[in-house]
Amino acid sequence: MNSPESAQVDTQSHATALGYMISAGVWMVIGTFAGITAGIELIAPDLLGNIAWLVFGRLRAMHTTIVMFGFAVTMLIGAAFYIVPRLVRVPLFSEKLGMASLFVWNGSLLAGVVALSLGYTQSREYAEMFYPSDIGVVVAFVLMLWNLIVTVMRRKEPVLYVSVWYFVGGLMLSAATYIIGNCMWAGWKGAIFGMPDAVIHWFYGHNVLGLLMTPLAVAAAYYVIPRAAKAPLYSHTLSQIGFWSILIMYTHIGTHHLLQAPAPTWLKLISVVDSIAMTIPVATVLVNLWMTAQGRIGKLTQNPAARFVFVGTIMYLVVCIQGPFQSLPIVQRITHFTHWIPAHAHLAVVGFVGMIGWGTCYFILPEMTGRPIHSKRLANLHYWLMFMGVVSMMVVLTISGLIQGHAWYHGEGVYRVLPSTFLYNVMRVMAGAMIVVSSWIGLYNLLRSIPQAGGARASAGEVAS
Amino acid sequence: MRMSLDVVLGGSLLVFAAVVSVVVILPGVTISDKPSADYRPRTELENGGRDVYVANGCTYCHSQYVRWIDWGLGAERVALSGDYIAEQPNLLGSERTGPDLSQAGGEHPDDWHGAHFHNPRHTRPESIMPPFAFLESNRLEALIAYVQSLGFKLADARMERQRKWKKPAVEAFEAGTEANIEWLHGHVPEPWRELPNPYPTTRVGLERGKRIYQGFCIGCHGEVGDGMGPAAARLYPPPLNFTALNGRGATGGILYYQIMNGITGTAMPYFKRELESEKIWAVGDYVAVYFIGESDADTEPKGIDAAYEVEEEITYR
Repeated sequence: MNSPESAQVDTQSHATALGYMISAGVWMVIGTFAGITAGIELIAPDLLGNIAWLVFGRLRAMHTTIVMFGFAVTMLIGAAFYIVPRLVRVPLFSEKLGMASLFVWNGSLLAGVVALSLGYTQSREYAEMFYPSDIGVVVAFVLMLWNLIVTVMRRKEPVLYVSVWYFVGGLMLSAATYIIGNCMWAGWKGAIFGMPDAVIHWFYGHNVLGLLMTPLAVAAAYYVIPRAAKAPLYSHTLSQIGFWSILIMYTHIGTHHLLQAPAPTWLKLISVVDSIAMTIPVATVLVNLWMTAQGRIGKLTQNPAARFVFVGTIMYLVVCIQGPFQSLPIVQRITHFTHWIPAHAHLAVVGFVGMIGWGTCYFILPEMTGRPIHSKRLANLHYWLMFMGVVSMMVVLTISGLIQGHAWYHGEGVYRVLPSTFLYNVMRVMAGAMIVVSSWIGLYNLLRSIPQAGGARASAGEVAS
Repeated sequence: MRMSLDVVLGGSLLVFAAVVSVVVILPGVTISDKPSADYRPRTELENGGRDVYVANGCTYCHSQYVRWIDWGLGAERVALSGDYIAEQPNLLGSERTGPDLSQAGGEHPDDWHGAHFHNPRHTRPESIMPPFAFLESNRLEALIAYVQSLGFKLADARMERQRKWKKPAVEAFEAGTEANIEWLHGHVPEPWRELPNPYPTTRVGLERGKRIYQGFCIGCHGEVGDGMGPAAARLYPPPLNFTALNGRGATGGILYYQIMNGITGTAMPYFKRELESEKIWAVGDYVAVYFIGESDADTEPKGIDAAYEVEEEITYR
């Protein structure tokens, strides 16, 4: 039994961790705004008609790239830069190197997104950014890893806590996946030919969730939940089973995106079997975390930070029951190509990874700054808007997807079914609006919680309250 | 197991390498790259159009593989691995907000695409596709060439058919209204030509016909059926002015057949995939009553009345 030690408040600057988390907050504001704009275009396609850089197909890529890489991943990398040094009881190897990695990371994303708006894209979902950005992202991954690994090597804590495995292992494999998935040896094209390209593409596409976002989010949850519940981690063995099984299972399942395409049958079979086997790592991680908090759930739900994380783990369960379910061929006959898929994706990225990201941010901010977050009320509002937004989006798009899927399966054409989705697209924008507003609140609350950024007024406001 | 840094990094790399060799390298090596029988290389213009398709993210709404469970556009031919040998990057797609395009080539003539890209609602009133009027004419031309190549040799055959019928359609239009209508009627098979609409005109029937007209026809034929819809300016031969059919022998059967089958070579598509029998009769009668000004609905020769048919007076009450 081990748990993150309850050390004293660090007085070091944490510039890297804060820099990543602020960047994530800003990216989320931009990314969700791109998303809601694209959503509005689905209900009013002529509203922003003929503005080339705002055409739906470009906005959609900007939205997914910004929210996945800019917000979700960046927030949790920020957390890693605080949590890893803390867990190994030494300061981060180099704040300068950390800031350099942040600069390269943000610069690559910004350049990639601007390029997308101008129509420069490699087209494959989640691997759209053009070649220079791909190189930048890999360089940033290497700089992050270098920093974290050297920090771990200089550790004063002999035992590596499970969060460290996930942060370091996840980032390392993500760098490798990014190079393979973007076919970086192919240069500007960023792709190979035909069905092998589709296979690599979806190997990568699913690993962005499975090897990058999920390990980072799970690592953060492993840090926050035992500390918030004030209880040691339930089982070291379960941590190990969870860690190794996610590496083995998750990496096999990308081809379940191609079950109805002419991909090799044996590969489809592997993807479905391992999709179902994904319940093993998910169950071990969740049993481990929830048994840790057993009898102390109240401690988690009273505190908005821990509630974000705890509810994020519930979302993880829902996503990972839904995922294996929809990988079954008989289910995909209805769900594939429909709104069911973005429903699932939003629940994963916003509900699971995003909520754990924000919760971890709120949880570690007081540890970093030595004072409570700017406003607990705003954090609660942030929580409820984000939660209601993502749940209602999930429900609305799932209904819409089932309407589409059943209608198509029973012989209606795409054009005939399209008007049936209109109302759901309207509700999708309303759900999105809640997430958009939550991102503004989150960024504001984050900035005001940092003494350097919030200035004297923040401190004064806090005293007054 | 003691989880040292070496074990975490080395072990996960080992697992990852094993998985990559199974699910990435093995399929990469073993997937056959033989082209399918219908494959042909794309021209330079078509490849340029593909770049426009990629740059504007068309792939996020349009898939490019037909499944065995599909009924829509191109459903007659299920996708084969050998169709994709030149695809870099792949454009299989993951959503179908719009129709699958893997067999879109030759479905419509070029002028229909010009009107559709200018504003999709001009040809498909309920579409939610963005307008692409911002594309420069050379990029639009390339994009249309690319779309018309989707389906490879099968697309070429369909394009051949479009070209074959475009010529006489244009000649007929240029020969004047009388000759044009004669040409149009002349290509409807004899039994259809003589067939009146077997179902009575009813108020609900006309309402349904109007609903279908607004969802499918209004963009080209216009709100008063004069062929002056917003798409008309980009189509040649232009859409038919229905009022000109008055007194020129347009039976319910002719209207039904033209809606069902379309007029290949012109922008008039076939609607049999999207509209069931009742909807076609209803929209045909709507056009007949409101725009042509004469309907042969429920006149002889007709068979046994369908069970649902009610007396006129009851319907109008």
